Amino acid sequence: MNKILLLIFYIFIGTSVSAALINDNIVDLILKDKTIERPEIHEVYNYQNMEKLPIRLRIIKRISSEKNIYEGQQILFRVQSSVYYKGNLVVERGTIVNARVETIVKSGMNGIPAGIVLGSFKIGDIPKSKLTDVYELQGQDRSLWVYPLKWALTILPPSGSLTNFIKGGHAKLEEYKTIEIYYYPNWI
Amino acid sequence: MKKILFLLILLVFSAGYVHAMEDSVTEDFIPEENTIQKAVMNDEDIVKEKAIIREQTIQGKINDVAFRILNANKIDKRIIFVYDKTEKKSLLKSADDVVKRQVILYENDIKFISNEDELAGYLSRGIIMALKSYGGIWNGSLNAIEVKLAPKIYEIYADKRAVDLMVNAGYHPVGLITYLNKAFPQKRFDMFSNTNLTSKRLATIYEYIYTKYPYYLQNNKYFETDSYQNFLLNSQTNRKLLENKIKNKSQEELKYE
Repeated sequence: MNKILLLIFYIFIGTSVSAALINDNIVDLILKDKTIERPEIHEVYNYQNMEKLPIRLRIIKRISSEKNIYEGQQILFRVQSSVYYKGNLVVERGTIVNARVETIVKSGMNGIPAGIVLGSFKIGDIPKSKLTDVYELQGQDRSLWVYPLKWALTILPPSGSLTNFIKGGHAKLEEYKTIEIYYYPNWI
Repeated sequence: MKKILFLLILLVFSAGYVHAMEDSVTEDFIPEENTIQKAVMNDEDIVKEKAIIREQTIQGKINDVAFRILNANKIDKRIIFVYDKTEKKSLLKSADDVVKRQVILYENDIKFISNEDELAGYLSRGIIMALKSYGGIWNGSLNAIEVKLAPKIYEIYADKRAVDLMVNAGYHPVGLITYLNKAFPQKRFDMFSNTNLTSKRLATIYEYIYTKYPYYLQNNKYFETDSYQNFLLNSQTNRKLLENKIKNKSQEELKYE
């Protein structure tokens, strides 16, 4: 009888060890008790009618990939001109538009430019599915002249490698620059 | 004695439950191998036919997931998806995403994919790379060259944007973590390499999901899977860095190992 009990005890301990899970501290300490909405999913679509209307926007405070920017950062735009569809006002001039810095691409060696991907545009009651998803900004692309220079310098080694130190331009959006995203009235 | 036996049965079932959790995540989108094994091996035609059916099934599944991602993300550029049984032989072949705008799923890659989320992760990365070749001068030619010349930068970019595509299309982004954790080896250094350390990529993706889609970490259906548990085990240092960053409300870019 003792042997049977020992066996049960052994199996129990063995099972509990194999079922032990590693905890995710970030989830347990930071996310666990928060109420977080499920991100919007674009499962239903109909692309029969591709009619689109431009919405002209200007950023309220300039951004640059050089500094003071991070992924997930909220940014604000102002609508530059009212948008009408079939005589009805869709977006009024001066409306404030919320958006987000989605992804940042760092500038690289040999003139590879930096980039910023903007997205999550929220304009009044327009559903996300009817708007352009993302708007990409790119810095000055110096690789156009850096690579020919690099190859030209290969005859004088190691001077060609010096072009590695030439970085690409930073992506930025100034307050005076207008960008266009699109509203697709017939999309679902 | 009956009680002891009952207790034993209960314990055996509870142990089986842990593994059942993983099985529930693993969906068999690849047709069962044993359908081929069951065929009479000396009848080559039957074997070939079954192999063709298997390839068509895989290709069909790839197309379903890929076009769902394209449509859900309103991507109006043409990209095709090819299942290829041959192994990747040269570095040049990996450029198909940006040169031919086709995403190739090799047999070697597919063996690491065990569900639709992981497949969506693989395809989303390819889509992002292929899309890169649609912008810029010379009809995207220069961008395609840049992707080849600065692969480390665009590798991280593709990982992050793949998460966005997956979420928009309704896939669980943690699938990308479990896939990479299974499929990509860990190099010693990445200073002189054309790829990033896999641990660095995994930590970056984790941070990206935490920042933009914390819902999926809070409701993580992969939490109990072996691959994700292994990721939690091997990423403790990097996740500690992120935890400190969050606690300090810092915005600085972390240097993951």
